[in-house]
Amino acid sequence: MNANVINANARTRRTNLEVLRTLVAISPPPWRRLIGAMLLGLAAAGTTVGLLAGSGALIDRAALRPGLATIAGLLAVVEVLAVLRAPLRYAERLHTHEAAFGALGHWRLWLYDRLEPLLPGALGAWRSGDLLHRAIDDIEALTDLYSRAPGTVGVAVAVSALSVVAVGSLLPLGAAILGAALAVAVVGSPLLAITGRTRVDERALAGQLTAEVVELVQGAPELLAFGLDETFRARAEATAERLARLERRRTRAMAAASALVVVCLGVAVVGTLAAAVSAAREHRLEGIMIAVLPLTAIGAFEAVAPLGTLAIRILDVLDAGRRLLALNEVPAPVSDPSNPVALHDSVPTPPEGVAVAFDDATLRYRLDRPPALDAVSFAVPPGSATAILGQTGAGKSSIVNALLRFWPLEKGSVTVNATSLEQMRQADARRVFALLDQDARLFAGTIRQNVALGRPEATAAEIAEALRAAQLDEWVRSLPNGLETPVGESGNQVSSGQRRRIALARALLVRRPVLLLDEPTTNLDDETADALIDTVLAAALGRTVVLVTHRSEDLRCMDQILTLDRGRVVATSHR
Amino acid sequence: MPGRLDRRLLAEVRGARRGLAIAVATGLGAAVCIVVQAGLLARIVDRALLHHAAVAAVTPELVGLGAAFVVRALLQLVGEIASQKSATTITSELRHELLDEAFRLGPAWLAGERTGELSLTATRGINALNTYFGRYLPQATVALITPVGILAWLAAVDWPSALILLGLLLVIPPVIAAFTKRARQEAARRWRSLASLSARMLELLQGLPTLRAFGRQEHGRREVAEATESLRRGTMRTLRVSFLSALSLDLLAGLGTGLVAMVLGLRLLHGDVSLSLAMAVLLVSPEVFAPLRRASAEYHASAEGKVAAERVLDVLAQSRRQATAPHERPTARWSLPRSGANPTLATPRTTGTAPELSRSTIELVEVGVRFAGGVRALSGVNLVIAPKEHVLVRGRSGTGKSTLLSVLLGFVTITSGRARIGGVDLGTLDAAGWRELRRQMAWVSPRPYVFRGTLEDNLRMGNPELGEAAIERVLQRCGLCRVVSRLPEGLATPVGEGGAALSTGERQLVALARALLTDAPLLLLDEPLAHLDEETAATVDANLASALDGRTVLWAGHHVPTRRHFDQVLDLPTSPAAADPTTHGHRAPPPLSRTGSLRSS
Repeated sequence: MNANVINANARTRRTNLEVLRTLVAISPPPWRRLIGAMLLGLAAAGTTVGLLAGSGALIDRAALRPGLATIAGLLAVVEVLAVLRAPLRYAERLHTHEAAFGALGHWRLWLYDRLEPLLPGALGAWRSGDLLHRAIDDIEALTDLYSRAPGTVGVAVAVSALSVVAVGSLLPLGAAILGAALAVAVVGSPLLAITGRTRVDERALAGQLTAEVVELVQGAPELLAFGLDETFRARAEATAERLARLERRRTRAMAAASALVVVCLGVAVVGTLAAAVSAAREHRLEGIMIAVLPLTAIGAFEAVAPLGTLAIRILDVLDAGRRLLALNEVPAPVSDPSNPVALHDSVPTPPEGVAVAFDDATLRYRLDRPPALDAVSFAVPPGSATAILGQTGAGKSSIVNALLRFWPLEKGSVTVNATSLEQMRQADARRVFALLDQDARLFAGTIRQNVALGRPEATAAEIAEALRAAQLDEWVRSLPNGLETPVGESGNQVSSGQRRRIALARALLVRRPVLLLDEPTTNLDDETADALIDTVLAAALGRTVVLVTHRSEDLRCMDQILTLDRGRVVATSHR
Repeated sequence: MPGRLDRRLLAEVRGARRGLAIAVATGLGAAVCIVVQAGLLARIVDRALLHHAAVAAVTPELVGLGAAFVVRALLQLVGEIASQKSATTITSELRHELLDEAFRLGPAWLAGERTGELSLTATRGINALNTYFGRYLPQATVALITPVGILAWLAAVDWPSALILLGLLLVIPPVIAAFTKRARQEAARRWRSLASLSARMLELLQGLPTLRAFGRQEHGRREVAEATESLRRGTMRTLRVSFLSALSLDLLAGLGTGLVAMVLGLRLLHGDVSLSLAMAVLLVSPEVFAPLRRASAEYHASAEGKVAAERVLDVLAQSRRQATAPHERPTARWSLPRSGANPTLATPRTTGTAPELSRSTIELVEVGVRFAGGVRALSGVNLVIAPKEHVLVRGRSGTGKSTLLSVLLGFVTITSGRARIGGVDLGTLDAAGWRELRRQMAWVSPRPYVFRGTLEDNLRMGNPELGEAAIERVLQRCGLCRVVSRLPEGLATPVGEGGAALSTGERQLVALARALLTDAPLLLLDEPLAHLDEETAATVDANLASALDGRTVLWAGHHVPTRRHFDQVLDLPTSPAAADPTTHGHRAPPPLSRTGSLRSS
């Protein structure tokens, strides 16, 4: 009952600058690389302007038939610029993207490290599909922060300024017209583009869609059986449709932004041309420069065109960043002590049984609810076997959560060989226990991979031994591919009983002093279950055993039986 | 140059042809505008430079030039909006078909898939196709027409420039061909990395507690690092191909423009060509390459969508195969061998009319199920269930109890024998027939899924119109009252993903209550009491009698309360994989049966 509900969609109001600063602080962009890329981009844009202006001048001058020598220089410039532009642009793009995708890897690990201490329990209101969307798409949206954003803005501004200055040296009026048109485009197109955004958090909606599809896939059997598949599919498709509508809106705004740029370009071309024509007639401008002005405008606008899209992308980066940083705000339920006791001080290696004791332990998931464990005290002597009984919801899983330090105690302590678990690093505390979890969760992979999850270095003989103790050896032998048979995602290609026993073999294989088995005999027939308890206790070999069970037959060989009710130990019996 | 996949995708376009046509038409219109602009610009420069014309003298041309820009802007706007609209129409349709197909293939197929991969395909993969339909397709069409048009015009007015550009243009197809092949391969590889990252990530998100319990969270971290690194490498490879292709097209375009400018300059010197023509040609010549460059860029940008589309179409193709051979649904790992299919199953007729379960006899004759790889899940099962009979399916773990229930649910298709309900062969039911049949069943899965929503939403799943009183009654019956009382908001507590975590026992109680709250005449209970403590199990069991009365019940499990009585017991043999045994349901001896409920047989 980890009902620690935190509103996943509550967006903390961080300003854009704060978000940007935090993102950069967590994974700083490779500034030198970005500056290099920007210079390359500037050079590429410069060649575009130069090529257009240069060839215009070339043709105008040639039209006056001045002789080959006068235009030879221009000819050479035009050719060099024509050939230079492509490799410059190639180098720029490669440079920026190399930097960006390295950063994404860093972000995925950051996300994993954030999530790791929060599961299970602390991410109450979060859906795995939404988290998946954060891990894949939101992180990918950060690409623009590391690649295009800084360079494109820099290049656009620099090229605009330089073009205006260059035109200004020829004809101030032309510069004014070009400058005004560029200014409208530079400011107007991003503003127009971002009108495509609504107050709907598009990324949250996309995360919701992923979550809904994950639910569809994982809940498919029940949905089909209850005839609700169409309802749930319609729900997901409606979400997708809402997203598509938002995307169309975005496209409209971006298309309007690029249309604005084309209109501004038209104004610049017509304006500078008219100014040039009248200036040439009044001999304020050399005739051969008439074409240079509009062509410079065309070149300059090429650098300005991507700004609208870029504005949207930058806001995307901020939205995605917000969704990632939201994970920073979820407190981890348990943290490591500052001066941890080393594991080997309290726990022997190789493992033999250790003493486990609960002393007045109280555990509570939500302050407004009664405690899940209420002043629980009991002791498990080294090498003994203790069974925990209790009705559904009596607090059995909370015992497991307390032992594995998945959830902190409100009061009291849990000790292993008289050392409190709270004094150990969490990883060390967990190394005391070999767990068969209640859900018997398996991972996509083979039987071997799943059994050896906790000890990948285990030998074939050890794995065979664990399988035998889990009463699985016969079944595995009967499979055409034996141990290499895939179990499917979360083990959904094997039966419930087989899944549970694979999880049991996995627990038996790790050499840890306490076997903590949550319902090892569920989903098994009595014959198998009886044999299983015997072989498991034999395999325990002096290790301490804590068994959560429902079957009274499992209690035969137990040294101690505890009964829990509403988080309290209501009965204790010793053999 | 449309490939096989393009043709398959084009076949999906149908409903959106108008949008694409508008996009192509506006694209061509924009190209015409550019040519007009060039001509007018050249004319103005010519008149000003050589004839010292005043602004007033060139005003019509200036106005025309401005108008051309405005028209071009509007055309681009309209084209973009139209193509995007049609693209999202197509992709919505594709998404619908994909989900439809995934559900038609059913749980057995889904079990062999990776959730993270499927959800990636259904969301982002299909979205990426928007670029393909909305941008690449119209741009590619424009790129096929525009250069030819411009070259034709150039050939008429200035053949030397046309010749230069044609020469360079001829180099392009082999260049593009070389790059597109590489791009396809790299994009497919990259998608595989992305899909495996997504699948792995979801599994880690859902399984992190287990990894932490085993101290293996570092292992998960390493997997994320490796997957993301392989994705990075794949992405860089795809980008490099895309950038290289842009580089070569840019080089050709630059070379072309430069050469044309040089030659024009020289010819102007000799007076072979007029200034206005030279200027126009110079301005137009980059436009020969520009559409190709854009199309190539869009090709690379939409490569991800195409790879995803390939995956979607593969899934869709399964139904087409299935339509011709309804009993040979090929599925990922559970696929059924074609050769092993029983000839009696090969009835091509399908029907949408399902039998009435409350009055139909279920008949299983020599039923066998065998999964790909030769794993036999069930064999030689014979069972006849009259309406309202209660049948216990017994057997050790892994003997096929769940598979047998899955056969009746239509999740698994039998590979031998005959399964009929009310005389209707289950193999002949189509999707509508199954829907109708399943409406009459309720199922407690061995691993119940609790949906996101309140507890009440989950209970009402099979019967949304239930009254409070009915729910209250079933809660009592299923021992759910205790659970509800512990939840912070009672029945209104959010459960499922993102809600209060329920233990396996609690989930099972929810599933049981959910099933009993339907009025389904057939109940399929797969180990319904497995995760319950003895006390709760006994309470639930004692209360079940009235709920099960009057319904047909198939109860699978080893954990069967002693007080429960069954009309029939089917003992599944320990190892169906070993021999080829035949199993018959046998009538329970009178002492075991409920008094008065044992019907004559």
